[in-house]
Amino acid sequence: MSIELLVSKQNHDGGWPYVNGRSWTEPTAYAVLALIAGGKSEPAARGIQWLRATQRPDGGWAPQTGVDDSTWVTSLVSILPPEHLGPGVHSRAIEWVLKTTGKESTLTYRIRERLLGNPRSPESQFPGWPWVPGAAAWVGPTSISILALCKENHRKGSPELRKRIEEGQGFLLTRMCLEGGWNHGSVRALGYESHPYPETTGMGLAALRGVASPKVDRALAVAKSFLAECHSADALNWLRLGLLAHRQLPPGYCPPAQIAYRTLPETSLDLLVSSMEKGNGPIWG
Amino acid sequence: MQTKITRREWLAVSAGAAFLSGCGKEVPIVPAKVSIVRAPAYDQSIYDTMRRILADHKLDVRGRSVLLKPNLVEFEPESSINTNPLLVHAALEGFRALGASHVGIAEGPGHRRNTLDLADAAGYFKIVPDFENLFTDLNLDDVTRIRPTRQFSRLEKLYLPHTALAADLLVSMAKMKTHHWTGATLSMKNLFGTVPSGIYGWPKNVLHWAGIEECIADLHSAFPRQFAIVDGIVGMEGNGPIQGVPKRVGILVAGADPVAVDATCCRIMQIDPYKIGYLRLASGGMEAQITEENIRQTGEAIAAVATPFELPPDLPGLRIEKT
Repeated sequence: MSIELLVSKQNHDGGWPYVNGRSWTEPTAYAVLALIAGGKSEPAARGIQWLRATQRPDGGWAPQTGVDDSTWVTSLVSILPPEHLGPGVHSRAIEWVLKTTGKESTLTYRIRERLLGNPRSPESQFPGWPWVPGAAAWVGPTSISILALCKENHRKGSPELRKRIEEGQGFLLTRMCLEGGWNHGSVRALGYESHPYPETTGMGLAALRGVASPKVDRALAVAKSFLAECHSADALNWLRLGLLAHRQLPPGYCPPAQIAYRTLPETSLDLLVSSMEKGNGPIWG
Repeated sequence: MQTKITRREWLAVSAGAAFLSGCGKEVPIVPAKVSIVRAPAYDQSIYDTMRRILADHKLDVRGRSVLLKPNLVEFEPESSINTNPLLVHAALEGFRALGASHVGIAEGPGHRRNTLDLADAAGYFKIVPDFENLFTDLNLDDVTRIRPTRQFSRLEKLYLPHTALAADLLVSMAKMKTHHWTGATLSMKNLFGTVPSGIYGWPKNVLHWAGIEECIADLHSAFPRQFAIVDGIVGMEGNGPIQGVPKRVGILVAGADPVAVDATCCRIMQIDPYKIGYLRLASGGMEAQITEENIRQTGEAIAAVATPFELPPDLPGLRIEKT
């Protein structure tokens, strides 16, 4: 799908749907990133306007207007450059991300568990990010949040940012599957080893950009094997980005021609990753 | 002095009298009809079997919209994780033949984001003509905040997809599987797929924090117009719903009361339905819907098809006790 088709799918309100219908925050954030990378400033500005108008009083975003809770999509919007989003809007979003953790890392939950005599598992040492506040942390939202905070730290470093980035990366390294790579975040399910997924493996690797360790090497090996056999646009996008983050994407790699791009976030992320392969870095900063 | 009685007072007195006259009497229970039909394999004979099941239940869907909700979980086409696409296509054809104005298919998987890729890997594109146009990804559908008629969980807000809420009949097409937390996953647990991950994430972890059994009961009451078809041709036993092993039973179980259908499936799996928390919650304190005497069985007898499913490792106490 071309960038022109992405532009043609923009809703009148300035946002984008997943496929058709009302505007959602996630497809809008990806579309704006892809359009900024592609130099399409007018539709990107209309998308930014929609995002600015839908920011919630707590600094976050709901997945869709009409839903009255800020969620992980706030991290995704925070990847957008502050000069586009507006410095005030952006800094409130970063504040929301910094104060959000999985429920298992909250003080009240930890006290409760201690009183119940439940030992703390190695996987819960490091706070990550949940999809929705009040639930546990998972690989997807943690990876996106790390990407947002790394970009902000690159722009305006602070100990608080570095702490959450390191904790988040620690979360990912402890949640890695035994064979390498990640699924949604369960290393084991009731005593059974869990297996990695291609899309979350790519996300985890992107969030561990600049981290060198044998575990990362194992994840890279898994990502390369997924890249050779995978037929999902979403998975291939993230695998490309994850491998690119570690300069391990095979030179001249092209996704297979028969891959179906079925949602607008898939299309946007494909455009974005293609632009990053050419050296443009709207995600890294 | 004459006292006039208002219409509202008259209605209140009448209702009270009716209530009092019912005191001390047992409320008659209308038995729920559940059919157990042999279906030895995923082959062309399923189409005729499905037509017979729908005819047996005398479903009047003329001019109505029907939404088929299979269970799609993982990219493992050779395993027994997902509802078989041939069965879903047979239901699609069956409801169309009954005169439904529209028959759609919809699902919102809880682990994987790429729903259509998952459906493709499970064989839906190959088996169901025009699948992509018939299918709605419930994870990404527009939503409405609803309040279930009976709420059991601690969930403060429940957003559900328009497509599922708007259907005149929601058909839960589950797999007959054991489940490592709830004991069994059948037509009621299958409704977790109606909870939109676009709002709640992958996995839908909020439901776990709010109580899995309670959320299943919430969803059951959120969709009052249901029909259940459980795919027990090849189910899953052991550490289900993902890491278990295939279990061939060779049956389909169907009915308009999901509690009665799932209780019947439990008995077939040799699991005690009274030990399944969500069945007890959804059937209320009397547990009348679970009781075998209150289920009108058609087709095969439970005893003729019952086969013990290996229980999840942490739930050895669910086995039905012989009396």
